[in-house]
Amino acid sequence: MRRPEPLEIFQPTSIREAGALVKEKGPGGRFLAGGTDLVIAVKEKSFSPKYVVDLKRIPGLSGIREEADGGLKIGSLTTLREVEISPIILKRFPFLAQSAAEVGSVQIRNRATIGGNMANATPSADVAPALLALEARARIAGLNGERVVELEQFFRGPGQTVMAPEEILTEIIIPPANPSLVGEYIKFSPREMMDLAYIGVAVAFVFNASQKLCEKVRIALGAVSPTPMRARGAESLLEGQVLTEELAEKAGAEAARECKPISDVRSSADYRRDMVRVNTKRALLNAAAQRPGKWTERRDRRY
Amino acid sequence: MEELTVVGKPVTRVDVQEKVTGAAVYGYDLVLPDMVYGKVLFSSKAHARIKRIDTEKAKTYPGVVAVVTGKDAPWIHGEAIRDKPFLAQGKVRYVGEPVAAVAAVDEDTAQAAVRLIEVEYEDLPAYLSPEDACKPGAIPIHEDFASYRKMNFILPGAMPNVCEHFKLRTGDVEQGFRESDIVLEERYFVPTIQHAAMEPHSAHAQVDPATGKVTIWVANDAPFRALHEISEALGLPQEKIRFINPLQGGGFGSKGGLKVEPIAVALAYHTNGRPVRVKFNREETFISTLTRNEAALYIKSGVKKDGTIRAREMTIYWGGGAYAEKSPTVCIRGSLPGPGPYRISHVKVDGYAVYTNKPVAGSFRGYGIPKVAWACEQHTDELARRVGMDPLEFRMKNVFVDGDVSYWGEQLHSVGLKETLTKAAAAIEWGKKSSRVQEFKGLRVGKGLACIQKPTRSPTTSKAGVIVDAKGEVAVLAGTVEIGQGCSTILSQVAAEELKIPIEKIHMAELDTDAIPFDASTTSSRSTYHMGNAVRRAAIDAREKLAEMASPMLEGEKNDLAFADGKVFLKDHPGMALPLGEVIRRKLGADGTVRGDASYTYELAKELDLETGHSDNASAFYMYATQAAEVAVDEETGRVRVLRMSAAHDVGKAINPLNCAAQIEGGLAMGIGSALHEHMVVDDQGKVRNPSFLDYHLVTALDLPEMIPIVVECPEPEGPYGAKGLGEPGLAPTPAAIGNAVADAIGIRIYDLPLSPERVYRAIQENKKKVA
Ligand SMILES: Cc1cc2nc3c(=O)[nH]c(=O)nc-3n(C[C@H](O)[C@H](O)[C@H](O)COP(=O)(O)OP(=O)(O)OC[C@H]3O[C@@H](n4cnc5c(N)ncnc54)[C@H](O)[C@@H]3O)c2cc1C
Repeated sequence: MRRPEPLEIFQPTSIREAGALVKEKGPGGRFLAGGTDLVIAVKEKSFSPKYVVDLKRIPGLSGIREEADGGLKIGSLTTLREVEISPIILKRFPFLAQSAAEVGSVQIRNRATIGGNMANATPSADVAPALLALEARARIAGLNGERVVELEQFFRGPGQTVMAPEEILTEIIIPPANPSLVGEYIKFSPREMMDLAYIGVAVAFVFNASQKLCEKVRIALGAVSPTPMRARGAESLLEGQVLTEELAEKAGAEAARECKPISDVRSSADYRRDMVRVNTKRALLNAAAQRPGKWTERRDRRY
Repeated sequence: MEELTVVGKPVTRVDVQEKVTGAAVYGYDLVLPDMVYGKVLFSSKAHARIKRIDTEKAKTYPGVVAVVTGKDAPWIHGEAIRDKPFLAQGKVRYVGEPVAAVAAVDEDTAQAAVRLIEVEYEDLPAYLSPEDACKPGAIPIHEDFASYRKMNFILPGAMPNVCEHFKLRTGDVEQGFRESDIVLEERYFVPTIQHAAMEPHSAHAQVDPATGKVTIWVANDAPFRALHEISEALGLPQEKIRFINPLQGGGFGSKGGLKVEPIAVALAYHTNGRPVRVKFNREETFISTLTRNEAALYIKSGVKKDGTIRAREMTIYWGGGAYAEKSPTVCIRGSLPGPGPYRISHVKVDGYAVYTNKPVAGSFRGYGIPKVAWACEQHTDELARRVGMDPLEFRMKNVFVDGDVSYWGEQLHSVGLKETLTKAAAAIEWGKKSSRVQEFKGLRVGKGLACIQKPTRSPTTSKAGVIVDAKGEVAVLAGTVEIGQGCSTILSQVAAEELKIPIEKIHMAELDTDAIPFDASTTSSRSTYHMGNAVRRAAIDAREKLAEMASPMLEGEKNDLAFADGKVFLKDHPGMALPLGEVIRRKLGADGTVRGDASYTYELAKELDLETGHSDNASAFYMYATQAAEVAVDEETGRVRVLRMSAAHDVGKAINPLNCAAQIEGGLAMGIGSALHEHMVVDDQGKVRNPSFLDYHLVTALDLPEMIPIVVECPEPEGPYGAKGLGEPGLAPTPAAIGNAVADAIGIRIYDLPLSPERVYRAIQENKKKVA
């Protein structure tokens, strides 16, 4: 483990102050949230930011709020553990809670934040596919005020987002959803825990259980392209259709065609594609079956 | 026999408190006054000549105390074969080989200076597989191999880059194949993996400028052997070298021999007496310490229709990496019992330890047995299938029993193998259809088992001392290293048992080669047996001396005395007991001590015959084990999930049943990791691609199945209280048992480890294509 060079660390107490600091110090700095990506990069991968601006003294950046319109707002500094155990999220979007629960270990999730998971922009970030399937948006604050972007537009490439250096991700906005919305997130990795996703699949759709009819189908994939992505071709195959095993299989095959995986030390591109196919099918069928249960039980559904 | 008071009891580990509170000081934690910090420049080439090294910029970098290269440290070390330079000499043989080192006032400075060292290389062809490296015409990785000092048992043979050729010849395999109804030939492969001990490697060294004495602080599992190796390399008498052993945070075979020690010593000669610390981080530990030999195993057997194995032939290529380390002895002790614990009349084995341009390979918990078991035990299942027999029944028909003469010519005794087979199988309801419901289409459930026999390093010696003081406290002087296996507890139990002193009053003396009697090594599952015997005898020696002293005090004959609860008394008058401390105080005063000493050596009756591999006493004792697995295979993804696993181990006598169960469970966890995930990926340039726990997948607690440890006690007459050993076998049959269960589940044999999802998935896909 390489010891970092002496680092300048700032602890502003407002968004404005934080943005101004970055403006003044110039490029090459980094914001710090839970530090589970940043500190590792500094210690283990010889990444040396010029300075670090800790966001944790800024009030109001964490917490989960239910909106009057049925939407949900999740502050960027909300920990993944909070997302995992939040009663509101568990009730409304259990698969989002589950995607958070798939990250690292409890110790990691107690520090890791949802904003960090998005801002770090790894293709394999576990919470990203679930949020994409919910058509979530990102609220970004800069020196000249705020803007809201679709999460799908937020990611630009591995480690890259639309944010300017001085901009801060303040909030994830989940739009109101139909009460019949069902969903599922499957993380596929060889180990049960403490592993990065070889691939991840999140699905969400409005489901008429008696007629098995699917509407507003959203399928999002992780770790199979430079950014987390939507599988629009697969979605359109299902839109307005009766969900059958055969159709789920077809949608899986379409998602496999759409994704753009690479081969690396973890897995070959071909295998990733095949796993997208299988797990998209499973996610669709699991979501439709709407079996309740804690994430530890839900994990078994990978099989 | 007298009733045992602490031996055989589930005593809580004596070191548990300091470890769980974090108070324990490991080698990696050590801080010495006035020390400097070393960092290393590693080779970026798999095989190349060094044309030029320029250290000028590093030398003048502020804060640097010393910069050394092979020129400043012209020493070569090695145990079986003396082939390894402290720092590269003229050429590099693997990516990760230490080329130069810097000592500085802190680690950052040392690292920064290392980056300033320039090396110019001239590439040579690199061999990245043992089978390629020994092909006719391959260029030698060690040009001067012929002139290296080698131990007398080394038989290099004629093939290029082979540093050891082990031969076993029994009967006539060709005749055996002719007499067989079915002959089957297969190839299995086991990739390079790593020990992944929790504590990475480190070493501290100091050279006293006045006396020239070299002191090394290191968590080495065999300090006396390491001392000998350093002494030979430096040409210094042994009394000029001292090893001090702090606690070791796991080793599994990776911390014997010399790893970081040579670098620390090379630097310590240039720091004016200041101690040097060299600590490897995880990546450095992965690439530049030790790995487990990869192995390509060819196996051919002939079997009769009634299930009798007539003949077995094996050719094994052990990938040794760039230096011999312990590969020659892994080759010998792994190839010898390679054909498995079976009665076979015609056996032929050729084992080759081969140099390659990969990180150094060598000893790893199990010492070759996990690799040969992966091949032999799956192959044995295939034979059973072909003659239409149940794998358990097939083994019960063919395995060694008491009194058998093994194919290497030794008559076996205390063979608990059949009991392990029946118990392990019963524990997972062998023969019954799996009760696990198939929750998803595509999930296939299967069962499999595998058994092994493991020898121990022989002949070897352990010496021990036991000191009782006037407070009735006991120090045990033993060279066995606490590597996490629990030897402090076991040896304390033994001393407590013989002295009849409560275990709380026993402590292990610090391991310092200037003060502790000789021990061969903490390896090969040998310590409970060898050091257990030595400590037992030393404790008896001390007890005899105490009895001598107490007899006039109690006015009775020595023979009429008895010991219990830290006291001595006349058998007829247990009420009038003298505390042992009191006996010493009365006779020798408050500073008095009584010391018992002893030595235990297992003598080999006959040395291994190099041409036939025969010996009528190859090992002090043998360990037997069977493990049985139930697995579920997801056919759509290739994921293998182990549902439950039993492990029955013949330990002779469980000195501490709790420790035995823990040792077995730890072994299973490690074995399951090597079965399903672990694989050091080396690219075509010889570079390790996954030198971190991000992509080198050990199992986590959540990956572990229900584990059923079973202790079988088939006593070894020479062992202390009948004990054998247990350290290594816990992981040895594991991958093969899982492989057999996978084959049972999906009807496809997979020949290469690990059984990663992608590999299993591909095998299923290919099979589908074949069927279609
Ligand atoms: C052992 C281990 C296991 C892990 N396992 C997983 C896993 O299974 N799945 C997974 O997806 N991830 C995993 N991670 C990665 C990591 O935990 C997550 O990505 C986490 O959510 C990052 O959040 P953080 O708060 O720690 O981010 P930080 O490390 O604090 O920040 C990460 C990056 O985002 C930027 N940033 C953070 N917050 C903001 C903000 N509000 N506005 C602008 N920029 C910001 C920082 O400048 C930095 O560049 C693992 C990490 C570790 C160490």
